[in-house]
Amino acid sequence: MRRKKINLWPYLLVLPALLIVTFVVFIPVIEAIFMSFQSYDLRRPDKIAYLGFKNFAEMFSDPIFWLAFKNTIIWVVFGVGLQFLFGFILALLLNQSFRGRGMIRAVSLIPWATPGVLIGLMWKWIYDGNYGVLNDLLIKLGLIDQGITFLSQTSTAFGSVIVTIIWQGIPFFAIMILAGLQVISQEMYEAADIDGASKLQKLFHITIPSLKNVIIITILLRIIWVSNSVDIIHNMTGGGPSYSTQTLSVYIFNKATVLDLGYSSSMALFLMFMLAMVAVPYLKNAFKER
Amino acid sequence: MMKKLIALMFILALSVLLVACVSNHNSTSNQDTDNSEDGTSTETEQEETQSDEEEEVELTYWYWADNSEYSNLMQDIIAEFNQTNDKGITVIGEEYPWDGGGYSETLFTAGVGGGGPDVAAFKLTSTPLFTANDLLVNLDDYINNWKDKADIEENLYDIMKSASGTENLYVMPWNTQILYMYYRPSIFEKAGVDVPTTYEELLTAIEKTTMDTDGDGNTDIYGFGMRGATGGQEPWGSFIHARGGDFKNMTSEEAIQGMQDFIDIYENGYAPPSATTDGFNEIIANFKSGRTAMTVHHTGSSAEMVETFGDDVSAFPFPEGVGQWTSMGDTNNVIFESTEHKEAAFEWVSYLATGKGQEDWTIATGNVPVSTRVQEMDHFQNDKFMKASIEGVPFAGILPIKDTTTEWISTVWPNTTASALLGDITAEEAMQQLHESLHEE
Amino acid sequence: MRWKKIFSLYFPLGTILLFLLFPFYWTFVTSIKPEDELYGSTVTYWPKELTLASYQKLFGEFNFLLPMWNSFLVATITTFVTLFVSTLAAYSFTRYEFKGKGLLMGLFLTNNMFPNVLLLIPLFAIMRSFDLLYTPMSLVMAYATFTIPFSVWMLTGYLKDLPNALEEAAMIDGANRAIAFIKVILPVLTPSIVATGVYIFIQSWNEYTFAVLFTNEATRTIPVTLKNLIGQLGVQWDLLTAGGIITIIPVCIMFFFAQKKLIEGMTAGSVKG
Repeated sequence: MRRKKINLWPYLLVLPALLIVTFVVFIPVIEAIFMSFQSYDLRRPDKIAYLGFKNFAEMFSDPIFWLAFKNTIIWVVFGVGLQFLFGFILALLLNQSFRGRGMIRAVSLIPWATPGVLIGLMWKWIYDGNYGVLNDLLIKLGLIDQGITFLSQTSTAFGSVIVTIIWQGIPFFAIMILAGLQVISQEMYEAADIDGASKLQKLFHITIPSLKNVIIITILLRIIWVSNSVDIIHNMTGGGPSYSTQTLSVYIFNKATVLDLGYSSSMALFLMFMLAMVAVPYLKNAFKER
Repeated sequence: MMKKLIALMFILALSVLLVACVSNHNSTSNQDTDNSEDGTSTETEQEETQSDEEEEVELTYWYWADNSEYSNLMQDIIAEFNQTNDKGITVIGEEYPWDGGGYSETLFTAGVGGGGPDVAAFKLTSTPLFTANDLLVNLDDYINNWKDKADIEENLYDIMKSASGTENLYVMPWNTQILYMYYRPSIFEKAGVDVPTTYEELLTAIEKTTMDTDGDGNTDIYGFGMRGATGGQEPWGSFIHARGGDFKNMTSEEAIQGMQDFIDIYENGYAPPSATTDGFNEIIANFKSGRTAMTVHHTGSSAEMVETFGDDVSAFPFPEGVGQWTSMGDTNNVIFESTEHKEAAFEWVSYLATGKGQEDWTIATGNVPVSTRVQEMDHFQNDKFMKASIEGVPFAGILPIKDTTTEWISTVWPNTTASALLGDITAEEAMQQLHESLHEE
Repeated sequence: MRWKKIFSLYFPLGTILLFLLFPFYWTFVTSIKPEDELYGSTVTYWPKELTLASYQKLFGEFNFLLPMWNSFLVATITTFVTLFVSTLAAYSFTRYEFKGKGLLMGLFLTNNMFPNVLLLIPLFAIMRSFDLLYTPMSLVMAYATFTIPFSVWMLTGYLKDLPNALEEAAMIDGANRAIAFIKVILPVLTPSIVATGVYIFIQSWNEYTFAVLFTNEATRTIPVTLKNLIGQLGVQWDLLTAGGIITIIPVCIMFFFAQKKLIEGMTAGSVKG
């Protein structure tokens, strides 16, 4: 029956999700695309006019934009990379059986459950050059003799905020991968045990291949999420000092909050384009082989 | 089973559509009416028995609170106004987070989206954005027919007018904050310096009060608690003006010299190394923990200073060099063009400007009243911090308010200044960049 | 054997947990410290003087229960609505080949790539025209902007890793698709649905940007209430950290119960590789 005429089922199943998303995202995104070709600055509503590609031209000659672009790449590569690494390790550890596992699983979720408002302030407080606990610990350990103002120097500020986003994202990967691990059949491991495979061999030959799609998708979704995240940087440094922690999303945020919507939409489209450039080949590769 | 699943899904899809249609229909039928309207009409019926002429009105008022005591205070003022006003006005206070200035963006988004409040607390710097989008009520006629007009000084009205870039007044004064220098008499004594009366003396005092008290080679007290994060442009402006510079031409030699002084203080280690990102919290924390000898702020923090130090904290106005300037902060109120009850709204903002609300708010918060009647009350005349504020009034000013000002304050100034403090760019380059982005057309 | 377990489990687990939990501990300590100790000359790792005043204040005069209830309401509805529609869509994407599939999947992905801050003004107008402003439903709709695209993709990933053979076997046995889905796939998929649900719940529980705009005093959620504690005159550390702790704990308790479901898929036992 399914082969004879066009099957409507798949479309109907997607419909509810699509309906909601269309109303709340699709329309605004289309509006933003129009705005990016205009001098859409609500500070100067009388002067809004069609600009063609002028916003984009301005963007490419804006040194702050390029700095933000470079920062975004560093932010995503180190942020997501290390989140994944530690998250994966944590998932494997939490999948072993030991006493109090449920408790430990629940508390390891804490960074992720912490409100963004608090994360930035709390870490700022930990990093504080005068009253911060990190400096106090380093001094007590004898590693330094005077407090380092982590967030006030261009050399240390960005690294410090990256540590914070890693902290926040580890539980995400841990939980998502932990869920994926449950689907892998025990029998495969048992069979491998009979063959005398080592732990590492099992990891690379059974665990990782079985989780391939989950790993690919969590990483991709996390790349998108992290490259768009604003609140940690916004609350910790606001993008400073001297733009050293300003990523593209923070730049977009800063421009959008002063209502220069045309310029920020242009940058948002650029960011979207770059993400699509990463996502499309990545997914094509990933899904082809099945 | 499959049929059930599909049926369920259809119901869901249909209900989404249905809800959409119904609510769409609703919103067209009562378009241009406020959310509060429904409540008002029923209440009017109830009240009708009491007074036939008076119409019950409900006003939504948005404000932010700098701490939870102020939040309670505002609710008390609102409650008292609702009880005592004889015009049947009920104000509903809605608190919004200050969010480092994000308040103004939230207010704007709601305003242009057509869901904003009737009246809102407001910062002058946002005026061009709001007036350019025709969101605010022109208050000229209301002010001219107002019995308390003369209770507020003319120059304050002028400042409010200049912020809109027009001849019209859109912003109702509420309270101001004049910045001055806090200092610790005990540290001054230890360093052997007197309260500076000139700018040169101030620079010397900053240098001399920077001390290594325990002799371990590390600075323990910094002379000046410098603010390099957003908001730092206000004390910074005093340095620029003290050298004879101004905001109109920030590339003048005098202005650059002022910037150089600012950089020197940081580079010579007279300010904490974290100054590049220090905001309000940090400068106050540093001062309160005895880590800095001087810092610039207003009366809003005087109560907690006294609580910490008792008599060992005092104040002086930012001293005069070639020029003299200090920043006047402001908190005001605006009425939205979309309100249906402009008269009632004006009643409320004037209660806050010159009525009982003015007294209650300024006495409890320590802000400078705009009402001259309230200024003359004993409470304000006998306070050393208020005195430093009022001494600053003759040379107090504001940044030029242009449509670029908000962005300049929130990102351009902090980042450019941090670059200069950290030695990435020179004072001249920094001033060039600051000038260009503020005066960009 | 014990040594082996220490190196392969306890030591790495302890190290990661130390990193993950220290900031939480620090938040907690801050919430029970009196203020003068906060900015004291020495950093104290346990308060010399312990005070629970902030917690009393939070629930007494501050009425923190209202925003907690609001957050709970919004997060729960968002989680159920999103999981329902996303599971259907993910099933469609993994079990059918159809025209426009790539386009639709791409659409869901790109939706996730757009910064929230640029959606604010148009969304506000949409909410107004639907008469949803300042109601919890407006937040549910707004959160759907990022939870649905995410969940569709996440569940697609999990479903793809589930071998088709499972349900095909059931369908050969005479079950139709719906039964095969409910009887065979759903039990195995439970851990994944729980994990995705946790994600949706946490994101909606903690979101600020939309929440500040689409709620009023009566419908405020936790992040907005917490942000109200940061004024121009500084941070109210005591209330803020106490509020933070109170925010985190229910999520952890919920997850403690939910994580049991994470292993249920395994015990369902019907998976054959």
